[in-house]
Amino acid sequence: MSELLRIEDLCVSAEDKELLHGVSLTVGSGETHVLMGHNGAGKSTLGCTIMGSPEYKITSGRILFDGEDITHETADKRAKRGIFLSFQNPVEIPGVTLSEFLRNALEQLTGKRTKLWEFKKQLGAAMEALDMDKSYADRELNVGFSGGEKKKAEILQLLILKPKLAILDETDSGLDVDAVKTVSKGIDEYRKSTGGTLLIITHNAAILEALSVEKTHILSDGRNARDGDGQLAFDVLKNGFTEVLP
Amino acid sequence: MMETVKLNKLPVPTFSHLGVNYAERRPIEGEARTIAIESGITDISESSRCTVRAERGGRKSVTQYIGAGSDITVDTDIMIGDGACVTLVQVFDSRAAVVSRLNAKIADNAQLDLVQLYIGGDTVSDNKAELAGFRAGLKSDIAYTLSGSDKLDINFVAEHSGRKSVSAINVGGVMNGSADKVFKGTIDFKNGASGAKGTESEDVLLIGEDVRSRTVPVILCSEEDVEGSHGATAGRIGDDKIFYMRSRGFSEEEITRLMSRAKLAHVINRSDEETKRRIYGALGWGDEDE
Amino acid sequence: MSQKTQISDVDRSLYDFRFDEDERDRLSSGISPDIITEISDEKNDPEWMREFRLRCLDIYENTEMVKWGAPIDGLDVSKIVTYIRPKSRMNTDWDSVPESVKETFERLGIPQAERESLAGVGAQYDSELVYHNVRSEAAKSGVVYTDLESAMHDERYAGIIRTHFMKLVPPTDHKFAALHGAVWSGGSFVYVPENVHLEIPLQSYFRLNAKGAGQFEHTLIILEENSSLHFIEGCSAPKYYEAGLHAGCVELYVGKGAKLRYSTIENWSKNMYNLNTKRALVEEGGSVEWVSGSFGSHVSYLYPMSILNGRGARAEFTGITFAGEGQDLDTGAKIVHNAPETSSYINTKSISKSGGASTFRSSVVINKNAAGSKSSVNCESLMLDNISRSDTIPAIDIKTDKCDVGHEAKIGRISDEAIFYLTSRGLSEEEARAMIVRGFADNVSKELPLEYAVEMNNLIGLEMRGSAG
Repeated sequence: MSELLRIEDLCVSAEDKELLHGVSLTVGSGETHVLMGHNGAGKSTLGCTIMGSPEYKITSGRILFDGEDITHETADKRAKRGIFLSFQNPVEIPGVTLSEFLRNALEQLTGKRTKLWEFKKQLGAAMEALDMDKSYADRELNVGFSGGEKKKAEILQLLILKPKLAILDETDSGLDVDAVKTVSKGIDEYRKSTGGTLLIITHNAAILEALSVEKTHILSDGRNARDGDGQLAFDVLKNGFTEVLP
Repeated sequence: MMETVKLNKLPVPTFSHLGVNYAERRPIEGEARTIAIESGITDISESSRCTVRAERGGRKSVTQYIGAGSDITVDTDIMIGDGACVTLVQVFDSRAAVVSRLNAKIADNAQLDLVQLYIGGDTVSDNKAELAGFRAGLKSDIAYTLSGSDKLDINFVAEHSGRKSVSAINVGGVMNGSADKVFKGTIDFKNGASGAKGTESEDVLLIGEDVRSRTVPVILCSEEDVEGSHGATAGRIGDDKIFYMRSRGFSEEEITRLMSRAKLAHVINRSDEETKRRIYGALGWGDEDE
Repeated sequence: MSQKTQISDVDRSLYDFRFDEDERDRLSSGISPDIITEISDEKNDPEWMREFRLRCLDIYENTEMVKWGAPIDGLDVSKIVTYIRPKSRMNTDWDSVPESVKETFERLGIPQAERESLAGVGAQYDSELVYHNVRSEAAKSGVVYTDLESAMHDERYAGIIRTHFMKLVPPTDHKFAALHGAVWSGGSFVYVPENVHLEIPLQSYFRLNAKGAGQFEHTLIILEENSSLHFIEGCSAPKYYEAGLHAGCVELYVGKGAKLRYSTIENWSKNMYNLNTKRALVEEGGSVEWVSGSFGSHVSYLYPMSILNGRGARAEFTGITFAGEGQDLDTGAKIVHNAPETSSYINTKSISKSGGASTFRSSVVINKNAAGSKSSVNCESLMLDNISRSDTIPAIDIKTDKCDVGHEAKIGRISDEAIFYLTSRGLSEEEARAMIVRGFADNVSKELPLEYAVEMNNLIGLEMRGSAG
């Protein structure tokens, strides 16, 4: 399978503190990978760095996407290439409705404006798949949304924007059992409809069970601690990190 | 030298070097026409004295579209009787200096919804709402979009003398170029206004590096049993918002455009379709459904 | 109607004792070139200071009264005695201080505090400093803490005083700054050399004992690069029938990377007009932290100002104002952001009771050259009854788009829910109200050294007397 994302020996700092000390990994097109590690191991840092967060500075190493060096590109350019990050804490945008935001985002990515009725149809279908109340489309983005609703709104964006690579940063955390199921369903829908690639940061077995995981990467203290197949993720969830790490 | 008058006086003066204690204007000569506003959109392009009256239990929803080509003064006198309700939308879309003076008396269980949109211009706007009645209510949504050398001086006093009266003043705006704005908002709790509540907020998006934005949110209080609060923020779009929107593919310019529109949304959404259409035209925005 | 509990006024018994001063020691009241010259003679002023005083008098006479703020009609400067000749010259030995003066300070706990927790103490009685002492460790590191008059005559400091004195607060600033410049007397000069960190605080204590008098002390503090200091200022006066005036001036120069904390507990008697001017100039990477408790005086105008003049400079202001019967306390802070990436934080509380009026007034100016600056203002007011007054008048003036400014204010009363919650846990209503008010003042008390926090809590005097009686 062709290579979609390649990270080479990445060192990253924030506020003069080095958080990643040479992390490498590759993800093939259409694959599903899981990124694991203790709290503070650098998972979210890696996720945000792949997306191009200005908060994190790449001091050495590179990021290649579709064979092109994107190490120094801004987040919007990366988004246009097809990278998507589901935020752990999605930002509230007062004054902009969810539907307005998404329709504009879609226009940014595709370069053309979808007809309103066509967009509404698409949005409605995706919301139905996620058991979202239709009224959310006209609410201000994430403003006053509960934790679960924010996460659903992220998955909704994933379904509409159809990126090549989706990085899901603990999209399941803080959700009840039913909501986890809905999110799983959304991820499944994304895979089916686009054949997209996933890099999932999670501690939740229920999310993984519904997917066929190709590879597991474990980070520890900002370094690659162990790589393995999909089974490794389940071993970690069953036995803890100490059992699987050398 | 022509004499000037002091307008928009801050109810309690403060440090004079800030230049916020009053606004100065030359008085405007000439007769004002008198208009009793009953319904729909009233176009105002010359000095006028407007009245909006809602008798006991009545409802009125009206719009003033102020589009002047030469300097004018607009006085608006609002009387809202017991249990009555008035929604007044004021759109300031003028190429000349405008002075607007608004005075509202709100009786028992009566409500004023005041919506103001300032599109550029050079405006001095002095507003006083007397929440005199029991459970009198004021909800004021104000937005401005200023650029070039636009000037705006807003003074807003919500005077609570009625028991359990409630006021909320919400201001949002975008400033570009070398625009200069003063917003003075006062919640005045008079003794006897027990159970009254007042809130006030202003949220300004600053885009041009030559802008000047002054904010004076005042609370005066001589009654124990009240709740008052105000908040103000000013500055650029937060880094977290920028990253979030960029990660969804928005460029810097697109983010600015979208966030600027967002600052006006709470006001535009409260206008009727015809007014909305005219506002979109004045702002040079395409129809949102296009 | 729910029953109102009484929160007692600040307990003043500690401060209201007094000793009679000798009539011969007073210069005549009011202000005139003769009186100014007499002060200069008395102090043996250098020539530049003589001229400066007279120039200030001229400015004073040609400057208008401020047009905003609390009324000061009750203040008649022509009746204020601007200078009271000391009974003794400055001492560095506590035993040599005259008995009556010594007793005053001992009752206020000054020598005791010095023994326990201070690196140095200065005590001013009426117009002149009567006692000054710095611990030898502090002196050895090159720290200077002395009275301004002595320093002015010491060739090591004369130059630096001349280049800094009333340069930050020029006499043209406002009428009372000009008055101060003309009649100032006493106060402290503190100099902390480069890289010196004074771990324990320095304190000065101002006591205005004479009736109908003015206290015009001048505090000049200079912190060189990367040094640090905590300075504590306490003020009190007994109550007389004639109004007193305090128009002191504080000038703080905070060098690059230096850090100054300036704490004040002010408890002037309730017929005092407290028109004090305090200002700090903060250079690159430096910081000033003001901690301010205003309890006393009849009328106060007090807005310590921080000018953030170098990249990354920082100011923090934490204050509480407690206005009781007959008091009109107009307090707050001023910040000028005058360099990139500077930051300021204002956090204040005010309490009004028994007909007292408190006003929070602030001004935050972000200049065009202050790109990347941040400011946050937070003020809360508590009304304890229905005959008092509380006003909040903040102003923000922004001249650059590259900044983040936030402001929040709240006003209200002690909520019935809070009282209910605490009483449901077994507290009496009085205790519950006291606990809430003490908690409300926590922002300041937790910033003070322990002994001062205790003093402040005493000052709040939260003895609750049941109104049920």
